[in-house]
Amino acid sequence: MKELLIVEDDLEMQEFYKDMLEGEPFTVTIVSNAEEGQKKIKEKIYNLVILDILMDGVTGDRFFALLRRDSRYKEVPVIMASALDEKTYRCFQALGNVSFLEKPFNKERLLSEISMRFGSKK
Amino acid sequence: MFTNKKEIILNINRIIFSSLDIREVYETMSKELLKVIDFDRLSVTLITEDNNLYETFVLSKDYAYTELKEGVQYPMEGSLMKRVVQFRQPVIVEDTSKGRFLTDPVLYKEGIHSRLGYPLEHKGRVIGSVNFGSKRKDYYSKKHITFFSQIAPQLAMAIENTRLFNGIKEAEEKYRTVIESSPDIIFECTKDGEFLLMSPSVEKITGYAANQFYENRGYGLSLCHEEDQERVQREILQVLKGQNDSLMDIEFRILHKQGHVVWLSLEMLPMKQNKDIVGIEGFCRDITERKKLDELKDNLVRDVTHELKTPVAKIEMAIDMFERSVTLGDKVSLGRGSQIHEILRNNVNRLKNSIKNILDISKLESGVEPLKLSDISIADLVKQIVFEQKDSASTKNNVLTHQLPAGIPIIKADRDMIYHLINHLVNNAIKFTEHGKIIISARVLSDAVEVTVEDTGRGLDEKTRERVFEKFYKEMPSAFGSGIGLAICKNIVQKHKGRIWVESEGKGKGSRFKFTLPMIVDTKQKVTTNPK
Repeated sequence: MKELLIVEDDLEMQEFYKDMLEGEPFTVTIVSNAEEGQKKIKEKIYNLVILDILMDGVTGDRFFALLRRDSRYKEVPVIMASALDEKTYRCFQALGNVSFLEKPFNKERLLSEISMRFGSKK
Repeated sequence: MFTNKKEIILNINRIIFSSLDIREVYETMSKELLKVIDFDRLSVTLITEDNNLYETFVLSKDYAYTELKEGVQYPMEGSLMKRVVQFRQPVIVEDTSKGRFLTDPVLYKEGIHSRLGYPLEHKGRVIGSVNFGSKRKDYYSKKHITFFSQIAPQLAMAIENTRLFNGIKEAEEKYRTVIESSPDIIFECTKDGEFLLMSPSVEKITGYAANQFYENRGYGLSLCHEEDQERVQREILQVLKGQNDSLMDIEFRILHKQGHVVWLSLEMLPMKQNKDIVGIEGFCRDITERKKLDELKDNLVRDVTHELKTPVAKIEMAIDMFERSVTLGDKVSLGRGSQIHEILRNNVNRLKNSIKNILDISKLESGVEPLKLSDISIADLVKQIVFEQKDSASTKNNVLTHQLPAGIPIIKADRDMIYHLINHLVNNAIKFTEHGKIIISARVLSDAVEVTVEDTGRGLDEKTRERVFEKFYKEMPSAFGSGIGLAICKNIVQKHKGRIWVESEGKGKGSRFKFTLPMIVDTKQKVTTNPK
């Protein structure tokens, strides 16, 4: 089964993810900050990572940069989620294999983004 | 008297053209002239641009005082000069005591009894006149006129040259002043990167003196920030190739001698010689401040946008969640229902607060909202807030208490604003403290009441302590809240002529937010307080 890691510090957003992804054919792990996320990615290789950008402590974009420095995560697809529009984060495209998900999103939008990104090797 | 006439004329003409400025050789010339035409006073007067005035351009005389001075302008009307100019003919005044020109009595008083005015023509235009004055009555005659006619054209030409030369000198002077005093960098550079001109302001902006640019080819480009170098080079090449004839404007970064980044805007044009492009000329302006402001503005817009969009996004998602629950199971389960309800309520509140804060600060900053002063008891206000916030504090396992000594005076202040102020400080303390203590205390100073909101929470480092009252400053960009709460607090305190600051021993060591409110509030409303 494919593994999905979500790093999101907003508890309410976590609830939305849980609600929307319930019963989908992949394992979902949700952590509340970048530090916990770091621990998780050391344990195993996820097939897809969803990152909130504006988080307390290490922000999503910095976490993303750290992720790409890990040789095992050079190619893993990443979805960046934020209430701000894509323009603000265009610079992260340089880090490769990333797409953007604007909040709010509904279940269909989230699932189509995930299925598109799963196994995406750029 | 006219024996060596030819020789003298040659000599005078030589003198006239020995200098670019006729004034420099005027004395010598007039001494030479004296050998053939006797005079006690000799002047050259020129018509000014508007034709109604004339200016005494040069003057020599053998007596001390004169009414008609060098460099001064006089009206043409009624003067000897007017007639000379009008008829393009020499005019002789035989006796100034009976003269018909306005200048005659003036000169008569100075001892000049007869005069000769001779027109100065250059390229068919009368530019002024040469005026001889003699202490002798009825001195000048036709022979003087004939003689002088051989000198006048050269003198007129020399005067025009002088004027032209002065014009160039003036323009050059202006140009130099502009270049030397310009805050912008003005430059001219050949195709090969050799600087023909580099204004001194370059040193202030880049840290490198103009000399270094003159001495090293292509020096400018090497200062360019490495990320911008290629682009700047490309644009310059375009101008040099003539692909861009209009004014080019590019913005780029350079590294200052001291290592920091300076933003420049460069406007340049091709420099041409007979239609060939030989280089570029232009100017560079330091736009670092503007860039910083732009960045600040972008961040501010981003933060406010995020602050407003996030709760709206979550409300939308909660509605979506609700709709899906309904479609799936016809009936929303109790647990799910209350979850959705809570998310909706939280985010509506958050949105409401953000909007209120933004409106508050613009109201406070515009100053349209006057203080509604009344007698207020700080002690009562603190007690009320402690009572209201106790529950909220305990959700994060904090104990909220107050320490209020007896005898805190009633002061004149805006009750709503002070409530908002203390309430916000307490809210902040709760937000950044877990399993800790929050104490609101007050004490009486000689002329003010000091209130402290102390917590055992996260604390602040020095950098944050300095900036925490700035609008939209947030330690963490994602931190909950719009980042203007403390800016509002500061504004409220300032409106009351008080002071607000924060003390903290550092990260993780708690913080003390303190403010003072004067006991006599001197505001525009001229209200004074009577301490109880």
